[in-house]
Amino acid sequence: MSISGGIIDCHIHPNADLGSTPEETAETLLRYADRMGIEMMGLSLGPIFHPQPTEEQIEADNTFNANIIALHPDRFFGYANINPNRLYHALSEISERIENGPFIGIKLWIAMCCTHPNLDPICERAAELGVPILQHTFLRPEGNLAGESSPADLVELAARHPDTTFIGAHTGFNWEQGAREFADQANIVADTCGGDPDMGFVETAVRWMGADRVLYGSDAGGRSFATQLAKVHGADISDADKEKILRTNAKRVLNL
Amino acid sequence: MIIDCNANLGQWPFRRTAYSTPDQLVERLARVQIDHAWVTSLDAVMLKDVTAANEPLAEAVADHTQLTAIGTVNPKWPAWGSDVEACAEQFGMPGVRVNPNYQSWTLEEPVFADLLAAARDLGLFVEIAVRMTDERHHHPLVMVPPVALSGLLANALEYSDVPIVVANAKNAEAGSVARDSGGDLPDNLFFELSHFESVGGVQSVAENIGVEHVLFGTHAPYFYPEAATLKVFDECDFSEADLEAITHANAERLLAGD
Repeated sequence: MSISGGIIDCHIHPNADLGSTPEETAETLLRYADRMGIEMMGLSLGPIFHPQPTEEQIEADNTFNANIIALHPDRFFGYANINPNRLYHALSEISERIENGPFIGIKLWIAMCCTHPNLDPICERAAELGVPILQHTFLRPEGNLAGESSPADLVELAARHPDTTFIGAHTGFNWEQGAREFADQANIVADTCGGDPDMGFVETAVRWMGADRVLYGSDAGGRSFATQLAKVHGADISDADKEKILRTNAKRVLNL
Repeated sequence: MIIDCNANLGQWPFRRTAYSTPDQLVERLARVQIDHAWVTSLDAVMLKDVTAANEPLAEAVADHTQLTAIGTVNPKWPAWGSDVEACAEQFGMPGVRVNPNYQSWTLEEPVFADLLAAARDLGLFVEIAVRMTDERHHHPLVMVPPVALSGLLANALEYSDVPIVVANAKNAEAGSVARDSGGDLPDNLFFELSHFESVGGVQSVAENIGVEHVLFGTHAPYFYPEAATLKVFDECDFSEADLEAITHANAERLLAGD
């Protein structure tokens, strides 16, 4: 199918194997994105993933991504990395990187489970700025990592902050459960990134959340753009719903 | 011409899959221009007597020229040699699959060499499924680690006239075998690409292990088959010769025993 305008990938990372500089990383990502019809990509984390990042690591990763955006502002956007364990610094980064640009969202990974009260001022600030929070969500069969949030954790947080929009990353990874968890919390949208291209993923997300609440993401560079796009291109849903997932939902949620 | 060297029929116990019958699978694969598929039985993986799935699989594909059945055997099971013979002689299968992690044996045990010897005698290839699903998707009461590939290389060298297909391996797993081989994989060793990931990952793995060792595979209908076609034809930048090799020539060479 073709969509009017390019695909928006709401979830990528500038992994070190893509390049050692913002220039190299951007060049690599754009080469492959162009082949796949991807117009824009949303950056978070950095070349090396830090489960409990220091303030210096946060700033370095945010600067790395800001430099990529500066090179190609029409192709990249970004989420401000923060660590809620360092709340003053987190709020400072939000002000500096979003209020003053160039980032248009907030990224939360696994430094702290998202039910913690430290998340409250962050969510309030996101609502004030009108930007979404991209929250990693996961369900591991042996139990989640310390600080890792489940879909139910995000639902709890989102219920406390109905004026904030949340992107539930990976649909909880175990998507059959995650999509159901998210279903009734209207201020959560889900992204489809990461994980294998399991048939049924996108159909299940659409069934439980509706096509307006599902966003395409890849988790590149660890994941292939192709395998993640296959979840949408191969899904037994209408072309209109595919267009929402591949582009128009992201434009709405991210104010692109 | 595209030959899918890793498709499935039947049902996985922990998830209902669409397109699980021969007619449905053939139609679904044709949507992405896949002409032919080697199919194994998802039902076989969790059976104690895995061979109970072989006759139904052979019957299911008998009227579908687009499908080739690959039986499942367990070399730890009593009288397994007769099961291998049945796959070759009764069902006319070109190869057999094993799931060592679900069958509780390793590639370093003598049974693997015994299986390769039996396959050689019958002119079969042997396929090893490293995993069936991402370990992080496993049912919490049925968590099965992937197959360790230690022992693969030595046996592939010892049984150099038996084609060995490694299915559902990730980039690093294929890369580790290539590294252990000194960058020169045995001619009879092949990796199927359904689980190769990362941006441009299929091309990276192909450059690492040698394009002559890569087989096209989808792991459909558990995976969307578009994942494999988009990886190979859109995301990567293979030459026409490399595309020929990956999509069918390597598989044809494997079957011909060249």
